[in-house]
Amino acid sequence: MAPLNAIEVRNLRRIYRTTIGVIRRRVKEVVAVDDISFDVAPGELFGLLGPNGAGKTTMVKMLTTLLIPSAGTARVLGFDVVDQADPIRPRIGFIFGGERGLYWRLSAIDNLRYFASLYHVEPEIARKRIPYLLELVRLDGRGQEKVEGYSRGMKQRLHVARTLLHDPELLFLDEPTIGLDPIGARELRQVIRNLQSEKKTILLTTHYMFEADALCERIAVIDHGRIVALDTPEGLKRHVRDLSVIELEVYGIPPELLDVLRALEVVEAVTVENRDQKQAVLVQSPGGSEAVPEILAALSGLRVGKVIVREPTLEDAYVRLVGGEVEP
Amino acid sequence: MRKLTLYARVILASAEMSVRETMTDGFVVFGIFVQPLIIALLGLWMLRDRGGDYGIFVVVGSGLTGLWSSLLFISGNSITHERWTGTLETLVGVPTPMGVIVLGKNLANVLQSIGSMAVSYLLASLLFGYPLTVAQPIQFVISLFLTVVAFVTFGLVIAPIFVMNPDVQRWQNGLEFPIYILAGFLFPIALLPGWTTPISYLLAPYWAAQALHLTSSGGGTSGEISIAWGMMLLFSLVYVLLSRTLFRVMLRKARSEATLGLE
Repeated sequence: MAPLNAIEVRNLRRIYRTTIGVIRRRVKEVVAVDDISFDVAPGELFGLLGPNGAGKTTMVKMLTTLLIPSAGTARVLGFDVVDQADPIRPRIGFIFGGERGLYWRLSAIDNLRYFASLYHVEPEIARKRIPYLLELVRLDGRGQEKVEGYSRGMKQRLHVARTLLHDPELLFLDEPTIGLDPIGARELRQVIRNLQSEKKTILLTTHYMFEADALCERIAVIDHGRIVALDTPEGLKRHVRDLSVIELEVYGIPPELLDVLRALEVVEAVTVENRDQKQAVLVQSPGGSEAVPEILAALSGLRVGKVIVREPTLEDAYVRLVGGEVEP
Repeated sequence: MRKLTLYARVILASAEMSVRETMTDGFVVFGIFVQPLIIALLGLWMLRDRGGDYGIFVVVGSGLTGLWSSLLFISGNSITHERWTGTLETLVGVPTPMGVIVLGKNLANVLQSIGSMAVSYLLASLLFGYPLTVAQPIQFVISLFLTVVAFVTFGLVIAPIFVMNPDVQRWQNGLEFPIYILAGFLFPIALLPGWTTPISYLLAPYWAAQALHLTSSGGGTSGEISIAWGMMLLFSLVYVLLSRTLFRVMLRKARSEATLGLE
């Protein structure tokens, strides 16, 4: 009988231990994943959203059988990730964001042929599938070139082709669009949508809010190893339904002025985004446009450009949940 | 049967991959082809007045040094290299057991080194005019085949240690010369202190050197050659069984201690 959930995580915890010092060695513990529980249904595209260091990659490594949890349990396709790795591995595919994980001195085709054999893909199937996958990730015509000459985006697209070689039913995509140019990232998102339409279960980690919003059916917001919210993108936006976002275009804002803004009663949260030569101060406020005069008064003496009042997005919900600065 | 076919494909693919990768690495080319040549050249030069028997002894011995160096450095470094390039995690995450992948890599390295032995043979013959005839050619070929098996399986015991421990690389240099000496690659172990002999007997490379030296130079009885063959087979079997446990334990430890990647 097929398992009810593709992924079942219960009270999962992972602690890394490192030693510090030479003569007086001390053990330092870092809790990367702290008591996390969630389920992913078959065919669902589930997102793990969080800043760098939140524990997303550690979670993926545990679910892909590469790392043993310190506590708790995780089942993938009905099998335990610690003791039943063998039946899990042929049925999942995984990529970790970045350029590593490929044989750079070899061509893309050589890489794919090698991984096809490691995944026990029959040679005649591999011969047909490799050109198809190279076309899917827009590397057709470049397959004979050595990977060391590829751009970062090309390497990441090759990773996607590599992970689809054995047609896995469950995919773990850890920050697959990180470092890609906007067009490359958009194309990769389209590939992910196509995989979703093929009813594949996908666990996607990202720290790009719009990406999670555009792709995921449900999102777990993770911070400091803990889930701080788990809902649909619309459900997460409801966390900030009582707020408006006031965007103020400024040209250099001193930190003490930000503290002044944060101290205002009409202000819930303040973040700053760099936009070319300018900055955008994003103020979350329950007051909406009525709060604008008070905010502008607090910024008196500062050159302020455009002021926009808008509805909150998933990113604003994320800021409220996680707090702190949003990564550009 | 299907599993055997799948594993045979992986072994061939890993061997091909290893050859393609190593041939673009100058350090590896030096270790396999140049270093044994230098050792052969020095040995032949020192023994040039001793007569023909020493020529084949030196050629076989220098070839064995190449075999051991390639196994120790290339097989070991390939796992360290896989860790650095981020492919080790991918390899552990595939359905093929790690031991089968390593077996293919070791096979490629050992066969490449056998090639370097042939180059030393030609060099000795052309430059020094030694009559490099092999005394017992059929027995020599059998010995060579068993040597390949013994070295490949010995490599299976070394590899899991590299999988588990990223720091083990610093021990590599220290292991290179003791095996040259203890296994009698370049001179008989009779020249060593008596207490080292039992250690030599526990090393498959010693029995490989014994079999190759006896069959190439002649002078060995069929009993001595059979013992060397039997010991190589016995040790190969022990290494395979030991490596299965080592891979299981070391991979579990690496998954537990997060040493598969660099993060």
